[in-house]
Amino acid sequence: MGESAYSATDYSAPAMMEGIAQVVAVEGDMVWLVPEQGSSCGSCASASACGSRGIGTTASRLDKRRFRIDNGANLAVGERVVFGIRENVLLKASITAYAIPLTTMLLAGALAQWKYGSDPVTMAATVAGLAIGLGISRVLAGRLQTRGDLAPLFLRRARPGETCNS
Amino acid sequence: MKEYLLLMFTSALVNNVILGRFLGLCPTMGVTTRLDAAVGMGMATTFVMTVAALAGWTINTLLLEPFGLGYLRTITFILIIASTVQFTEMVVRKVSPSLFQLLGIYLPLITTNCAVLGVALLLVADKMSFISSVLFALGSALGFSLVLVMFAGLRERLALMDVPRLFAGPPIGFIVVSLLALAFMGFSGMGAS
Repeated sequence: MGESAYSATDYSAPAMMEGIAQVVAVEGDMVWLVPEQGSSCGSCASASACGSRGIGTTASRLDKRRFRIDNGANLAVGERVVFGIRENVLLKASITAYAIPLTTMLLAGALAQWKYGSDPVTMAATVAGLAIGLGISRVLAGRLQTRGDLAPLFLRRARPGETCNS
Repeated sequence: MKEYLLLMFTSALVNNVILGRFLGLCPTMGVTTRLDAAVGMGMATTFVMTVAALAGWTINTLLLEPFGLGYLRTITFILIIASTVQFTEMVVRKVSPSLFQLLGIYLPLITTNCAVLGVALLLVADKMSFISSVLFALGSALGFSLVLVMFAGLRERLALMDVPRLFAGPPIGFIVVSLLALAFMGFSGMGAS
Protein backbone atom coordinates (compact mmCIF):
# COMPACT_ATOMS: atom_id res chain seq x y z
CA MET A 1 0.00 0.00 0.00
CA GLY A 2 2.77 2.38 1.01
CA GLU A 3 4.77 1.65 -2.16
CA SER A 4 1.92 2.56 -4.50
CA ALA A 5 1.21 5.73 -2.54
CA TYR A 6 4.78 6.93 -2.84
CA SER A 7 4.96 6.15 -6.53
CA ALA A 8 1.84 8.30 -7.08
CA THR A 9 3.75 11.42 -6.03
CA ASP A 10 5.69 13.11 -8.79
CA TYR A 11 8.66 14.61 -6.99
CA SER A 12 10.14 15.90 -10.25
CA ALA A 13 7.23 18.32 -10.71
CA PRO A 14 8.04 21.99 -9.99
CA ALA A 15 7.17 22.75 -6.36
CA MET A 16 4.45 25.37 -6.45
CA MET A 17 1.89 26.45 -3.87
CA GLU A 18 -1.41 27.27 -5.51
CA GLY A 19 -4.14 29.66 -4.44
CA ILE A 20 -7.31 31.10 -5.90
CA ALA A 21 -7.89 34.82 -6.30
CA GLN A 22 -10.51 37.07 -7.82
CA VAL A 23 -9.79 39.91 -10.22
CA VAL A 24 -10.98 43.16 -8.63
CA ALA A 25 -9.50 45.77 -10.98
CA VAL A 26 -7.75 46.08 -14.32
CA GLU A 27 -5.12 48.80 -14.76
CA GLY A 28 -3.56 48.85 -18.20
CA ASP A 29 -1.62 45.62 -18.65
CA MET A 30 -1.81 44.75 -14.95
CA VAL A 31 -4.64 43.25 -12.87
CA TRP A 32 -5.33 43.53 -9.15
CA LEU A 33 -6.30 40.31 -7.39
CA VAL A 34 -7.70 39.54 -3.95
CA PRO A 35 -6.95 36.04 -2.65
CA GLU A 36 -9.83 33.85 -1.54
CA GLN A 37 -9.90 32.55 2.01
CA GLY A 38 -7.41 29.81 2.83
CA SER A 39 -7.88 26.30 4.09
CA SER A 40 -8.11 26.71 7.85
CA CYS A 41 -10.88 29.20 8.75
CA GLY A 42 -12.95 28.79 5.60
CA SER A 43 -13.33 25.06 5.91
CA CYS A 44 -14.04 25.06 9.63
CA ALA A 45 -17.41 23.53 10.46
CA SER A 46 -18.36 26.55 12.57
CA ALA A 47 -17.07 29.17 10.13
CA SER A 48 -20.51 30.64 9.59
CA ALA A 49 -21.07 31.12 13.31
CA CYS A 50 -17.55 32.16 14.27
CA GLY A 51 -17.41 35.62 15.84
CA SER A 52 -13.74 36.06 15.04
CA ARG A 53 -14.46 36.50 11.34
CA GLY A 54 -15.75 40.02 11.80
CA ILE A 55 -13.12 41.43 14.11
CA GLY A 56 -10.11 41.64 11.94
CA THR A 57 -9.22 38.06 11.19
CA THR A 58 -8.77 36.31 7.88
CA ALA A 59 -12.00 37.17 6.12
CA SER A 60 -12.06 40.88 6.79
CA ARG A 61 -8.38 41.35 5.94
CA LEU A 62 -8.17 39.68 2.59
CA ASP A 63 -8.71 42.99 0.81
CA LYS A 64 -5.51 44.33 2.37
CA ARG A 65 -3.63 41.44 0.76
CA ARG A 66 -4.52 42.41 -2.81
CA PHE A 67 -1.67 42.00 -5.26
CA ARG A 68 -0.86 42.77 -8.89
CA ILE A 69 0.16 40.51 -11.76
CA ASP A 70 0.66 40.97 -15.50
CA ASN A 71 -2.53 40.67 -17.50
CA GLY A 72 -1.14 38.50 -20.27
CA ALA A 73 -4.29 36.34 -20.28
CA ASN A 74 -6.74 39.26 -20.81
CA LEU A 75 -8.48 38.79 -17.47
CA ALA A 76 -11.63 40.75 -16.65
CA VAL A 77 -13.00 42.02 -13.34
CA GLY A 78 -14.82 39.26 -11.44
CA GLU A 79 -12.91 36.36 -13.00
CA ARG A 80 -11.37 33.78 -10.67
CA VAL A 81 -7.83 32.64 -11.35
CA VAL A 82 -5.38 30.12 -9.94
CA PHE A 83 -2.07 31.73 -9.04
CA GLY A 84 1.10 30.07 -7.87
CA ILE A 85 3.97 30.89 -5.56
CA ARG A 86 7.17 28.89 -5.61
CA GLU A 87 7.30 26.74 -2.47
CA ASN A 88 10.66 28.01 -1.26
CA VAL A 89 9.38 31.60 -1.42
CA LEU A 90 7.30 31.15 1.74
CA LEU A 91 10.34 29.86 3.59
CA LYS A 92 12.48 32.75 2.33
CA ALA A 93 9.74 35.22 3.29
CA SER A 94 9.34 33.68 6.77
CA ILE A 95 13.08 33.81 7.39
CA THR A 96 13.26 37.42 6.22
CA ALA A 97 10.26 38.61 8.21
CA TYR A 98 10.61 36.60 11.42
CA ALA A 99 13.89 34.70 11.80
CA ILE A 100 16.22 37.65 11.21
CA PRO A 101 14.60 40.05 13.75
CA LEU A 102 14.31 37.19 16.25
CA THR A 103 17.99 36.28 15.85
CA THR A 104 19.27 39.85 16.26
CA MET A 105 16.93 40.32 19.24
CA LEU A 106 18.24 37.21 20.99
CA LEU A 107 21.87 37.96 20.15
CA ALA A 108 21.59 41.48 21.56
CA GLY A 109 19.82 40.17 24.68
CA ALA A 110 22.35 37.37 25.24
CA LEU A 111 25.27 39.76 24.75
CA ALA A 112 23.84 42.28 27.22
CA GLN A 113 23.10 39.55 29.77
CA TRP A 114 26.64 38.18 29.48
CA LYS A 115 28.24 41.65 29.66
CA TYR A 116 26.08 43.35 32.34
CA GLY A 117 23.92 40.61 33.90
CA SER A 118 21.10 43.05 34.60
CA ASP A 119 17.48 42.56 33.54
CA PRO A 120 16.73 46.23 32.59
CA VAL A 121 19.85 46.44 30.40
CA THR A 122 19.05 43.07 28.79
CA MET A 123 15.50 44.26 28.15
CA ALA A 124 16.67 47.47 26.46
CA ALA A 125 19.26 45.57 24.38
CA THR A 126 16.63 43.04 23.31
CA VAL A 127 14.29 45.78 22.08
CA ALA A 128 17.18 47.50 20.27
CA GLY A 129 18.16 44.17 18.69
CA LEU A 130 14.58 43.70 17.50
CA ALA A 131 14.56 47.16 15.90
CA ILE A 132 17.90 46.49 14.15
CA GLY A 133 16.63 43.11 12.91
CA LEU A 134 13.50 44.71 11.47
CA GLY A 135 15.70 47.22 9.65
CA ILE A 136 17.79 44.39 8.15
CA SER A 137 14.55 42.59 7.19
CA ARG A 138 13.34 45.66 5.38
CA VAL A 139 16.53 45.86 3.29
CA LEU A 140 16.49 42.13 2.46
CA ALA A 141 12.76 42.15 1.63
CA GLY A 142 13.40 45.07 -0.74
CA ARG A 143 16.09 43.04 -2.51
CA LEU A 144 13.83 39.98 -2.80
CA GLN A 145 11.07 42.14 -4.23
CA THR A 146 13.41 43.81 -6.74
CA ARG A 147 14.55 40.41 -7.95
CA GLY A 148 10.90 39.37 -8.31
CA ASP A 149 11.34 36.41 -5.94
CA LEU A 150 8.14 37.18 -4.04
CA ALA A 151 5.88 37.72 -7.04
CA PRO A 152 2.92 35.37 -7.53
CA LEU A 153 2.53 33.82 -11.00
CA PHE A 154 -0.64 33.42 -13.05
CA LEU A 155 -1.22 29.71 -13.74
CA ARG A 156 -4.72 29.39 -15.24
CA ARG A 157 -8.35 30.44 -14.92
CA ALA A 158 -10.16 28.67 -12.04
CA ARG A 159 -12.79 26.09 -12.94
CA PRO A 160 -16.39 26.87 -11.86
CA GLY A 161 -16.81 25.85 -8.22
CA GLU A 162 -13.08 25.23 -7.74
CA THR A 163 -11.84 26.17 -4.25
CA CYS A 164 -8.53 26.16 -2.42
CA ASN A 165 -9.56 22.91 -0.76
CA SER A 166 -10.71 21.09 -3.88
CA MET B 1 25.05 28.71 29.48
CA LYS B 2 24.29 25.02 30.12
CA GLU B 3 21.30 26.06 32.20
CA TYR B 4 19.88 28.10 29.31
CA LEU B 5 20.42 25.30 26.78
CA LEU B 6 18.69 22.82 29.08
CA LEU B 7 15.82 25.26 29.56
CA MET B 8 15.33 25.52 25.79
CA PHE B 9 15.67 21.77 25.26
CA THR B 10 13.18 21.02 28.02
CA SER B 11 10.63 23.56 26.81
CA ALA B 12 10.94 22.41 23.19
CA LEU B 13 10.90 18.64 23.61
CA VAL B 14 10.26 17.39 27.15
CA ASN B 15 7.37 19.76 27.93
CA ASN B 16 6.36 20.36 24.34
CA VAL B 17 3.40 22.77 24.30
CA ILE B 18 1.34 20.61 21.96
CA LEU B 19 2.30 17.06 22.88
CA GLY B 20 3.22 17.59 26.54
CA ARG B 21 0.87 20.36 27.66
CA PHE B 22 -1.87 19.87 25.04
CA LEU B 23 -2.05 23.56 24.18
CA GLY B 24 -2.54 24.94 20.66
CA LEU B 25 -4.40 21.93 19.30
CA CYS B 26 -6.57 24.14 17.01
CA PRO B 27 -3.70 25.23 14.72
CA THR B 28 -2.25 21.73 14.98
CA MET B 29 -5.33 20.29 13.32
CA GLY B 30 -6.29 23.33 11.25
CA VAL B 31 -3.07 24.52 9.61
CA THR B 32 -1.26 21.24 9.05
CA THR B 33 -2.99 20.08 5.90
CA ARG B 34 -0.08 21.54 3.89
CA LEU B 35 3.58 21.65 4.82
CA ASP B 36 4.12 25.21 3.55
CA ALA B 37 1.20 26.50 5.67
CA ALA B 38 2.67 24.75 8.73
CA VAL B 39 6.07 26.38 8.15
CA GLY B 40 4.48 29.83 7.78
CA MET B 41 2.34 29.38 10.87
CA GLY B 42 5.24 27.96 12.88
CA MET B 43 7.56 30.86 12.09
CA ALA B 44 4.87 33.47 12.78
CA THR B 45 3.98 31.81 16.10
CA THR B 46 7.65 31.62 17.09
CA PHE B 47 8.03 35.35 16.55
CA VAL B 48 4.81 36.33 18.32
CA MET B 49 5.32 33.93 21.24
CA THR B 50 8.83 35.26 21.93
CA VAL B 51 7.89 38.93 21.63
CA ALA B 52 4.72 38.38 23.73
CA ALA B 53 6.83 36.70 26.43
CA LEU B 54 9.21 39.66 26.42
CA ALA B 55 6.32 42.14 26.72
CA GLY B 56 4.46 40.00 29.25
CA TRP B 57 7.46 39.66 31.56
CA THR B 58 8.09 43.41 31.37
CA ILE B 59 4.50 44.42 32.15
CA ASN B 60 4.20 41.83 34.92
CA THR B 61 7.48 42.84 36.59
CA LEU B 62 7.15 46.60 36.23
CA LEU B 63 3.41 47.05 36.63
CA LEU B 64 1.35 44.12 37.88
CA GLU B 65 3.56 42.84 40.71
CA PRO B 66 4.65 46.20 42.23
CA PHE B 67 1.05 47.45 42.36
CA GLY B 68 -0.49 44.17 43.53
CA LEU B 69 -2.50 43.72 40.33
CA GLY B 70 -1.80 40.01 39.89
CA TYR B 71 -5.52 39.27 39.55
CA LEU B 72 -5.47 41.16 36.23
CA ARG B 73 -2.69 38.97 34.81
CA THR B 74 -4.74 36.78 32.47
CA ILE B 75 -6.71 39.62 30.90
CA THR B 76 -3.57 41.77 30.63
CA PHE B 77 -1.71 38.97 28.84
CA ILE B 78 -4.62 38.48 26.42
CA LEU B 79 -4.37 42.19 25.63
CA ILE B 80 -0.58 41.95 25.25
CA ILE B 81 -0.88 39.01 22.83
CA ALA B 82 -3.52 40.77 20.73
CA SER B 83 -1.36 43.91 20.67
CA THR B 84 1.73 41.91 19.73
CA VAL B 85 -0.10 40.31 16.82
CA GLN B 86 -1.33 43.71 15.66
CA PHE B 87 2.17 45.15 16.03
CA THR B 88 3.71 42.27 14.08
CA GLU B 89 1.12 42.63 11.35
CA MET B 90 1.76 46.36 11.05
CA VAL B 91 5.52 45.92 11.04
CA VAL B 92 5.51 43.14 8.43
CA ARG B 93 3.20 45.25 6.27
CA LYS B 94 5.46 48.28 6.65
CA VAL B 95 8.68 46.31 6.14
CA SER B 96 7.41 44.70 2.95
CA PRO B 97 3.89 44.65 1.48
CA SER B 98 4.91 41.57 -0.54
CA LEU B 99 5.86 39.69 2.63
CA PHE B 100 2.56 40.74 4.16
CA GLN B 101 0.70 39.28 1.17
CA LEU B 102 2.47 35.96 1.70
CA LEU B 103 2.54 35.76 5.50
CA GLY B 104 -0.23 38.04 6.77
CA ILE B 105 -2.85 35.33 6.60
CA TYR B 106 -1.32 33.41 9.53
CA LEU B 107 -1.04 36.29 11.97
CA PRO B 108 -4.68 36.84 13.01
CA LEU B 109 -5.01 33.13 13.77
CA ILE B 110 -2.32 33.44 16.45
CA THR B 111 -4.43 35.83 18.55
CA THR B 112 -6.64 32.92 19.59
CA ASN B 113 -3.81 30.42 20.02
CA CYS B 114 -3.95 29.30 23.65
CA ALA B 115 -0.32 28.11 23.50
CA VAL B 116 0.87 31.73 23.37
CA LEU B 117 -1.15 32.68 26.47
CA GLY B 118 -0.20 29.43 28.20
CA VAL B 119 3.53 30.04 27.74
CA ALA B 120 3.26 33.67 28.92
CA LEU B 121 1.43 32.56 32.08
CA LEU B 122 3.81 29.67 32.74
CA LEU B 123 6.95 31.78 32.66
CA VAL B 124 5.43 34.24 35.15
CA ALA B 125 4.25 31.41 37.41
CA ASP B 126 7.78 29.97 37.43
CA LYS B 127 9.23 33.42 38.37
CA MET B 128 11.87 33.29 35.63
CA SER B 129 14.44 35.98 34.93
CA PHE B 130 14.07 38.09 31.78
CA ILE B 131 16.51 36.14 29.62
CA SER B 132 15.19 32.79 30.89
CA SER B 133 11.65 33.90 30.01
CA VAL B 134 12.63 34.82 26.46
CA LEU B 135 14.55 31.55 25.98
CA PHE B 136 11.71 29.50 27.50
CA ALA B 137 9.24 31.14 25.10
CA LEU B 138 11.59 30.63 22.16
CA GLY B 139 12.15 26.96 23.05
CA SER B 140 8.41 26.38 23.45
CA ALA B 141 7.74 28.08 20.11
CA LEU B 142 10.41 26.03 18.35
CA GLY B 143 8.90 22.86 19.83
CA PHE B 144 5.47 24.01 18.64
CA SER B 145 6.81 24.65 15.11
CA LEU B 146 8.63 21.31 15.06
CA VAL B 147 5.42 19.43 15.83
CA LEU B 148 3.44 21.45 13.26
CA VAL B 149 5.98 20.65 10.54
CA MET B 150 6.28 16.97 11.51
CA PHE B 151 2.51 16.57 11.66
CA ALA B 152 2.01 18.41 8.34
CA GLY B 153 4.51 16.06 6.68
CA LEU B 154 2.70 13.05 8.12
CA ARG B 155 -0.70 14.38 7.01
CA GLU B 156 0.55 14.99 3.46
CA ARG B 157 1.51 11.32 3.35
CA LEU B 158 -1.70 10.24 5.06
CA ALA B 159 -3.66 12.00 2.31
CA LEU B 160 -2.21 9.48 -0.15
CA MET B 161 -2.94 6.46 2.02
CA ASP B 162 -5.88 4.13 1.81
CA VAL B 163 -7.46 4.97 5.19
CA PRO B 164 -10.79 3.30 6.13
CA ARG B 165 -13.67 5.79 5.71
CA LEU B 166 -14.46 5.70 9.41
CA PHE B 167 -11.01 7.07 10.24
CA ALA B 168 -10.43 9.36 7.25
CA GLY B 169 -9.70 13.03 7.96
CA PRO B 170 -9.50 14.36 11.54
CA PRO B 171 -9.89 10.94 13.31
CA ILE B 172 -6.71 9.51 11.80
CA GLY B 173 -5.09 12.91 12.45
CA PHE B 174 -5.86 12.66 16.17
CA ILE B 175 -4.57 9.07 16.27
CA VAL B 176 -1.31 10.22 14.66
CA VAL B 177 -1.00 13.13 17.13
CA SER B 178 -1.48 10.73 20.04
CA LEU B 179 1.24 8.45 18.65
CA LEU B 180 3.53 11.47 18.30
CA ALA B 181 2.75 12.40 21.92
CA LEU B 182 3.72 8.89 23.00
CA ALA B 183 6.98 9.22 21.07
CA PHE B 184 7.70 12.59 22.72
CA MET B 185 7.17 11.02 26.15
CA GLY B 186 10.51 9.37 25.47
CA PHE B 187 12.17 12.74 26.11
CA SER B 188 10.71 13.01 29.61
CA GLY B 189 13.60 11.15 31.18
CA MET B 190 16.08 13.59 29.66
CA GLY B 191 15.02 16.87 31.34
CA ALA B 192 17.12 18.66 33.93
CA SER B 193 15.68 18.01 37.36
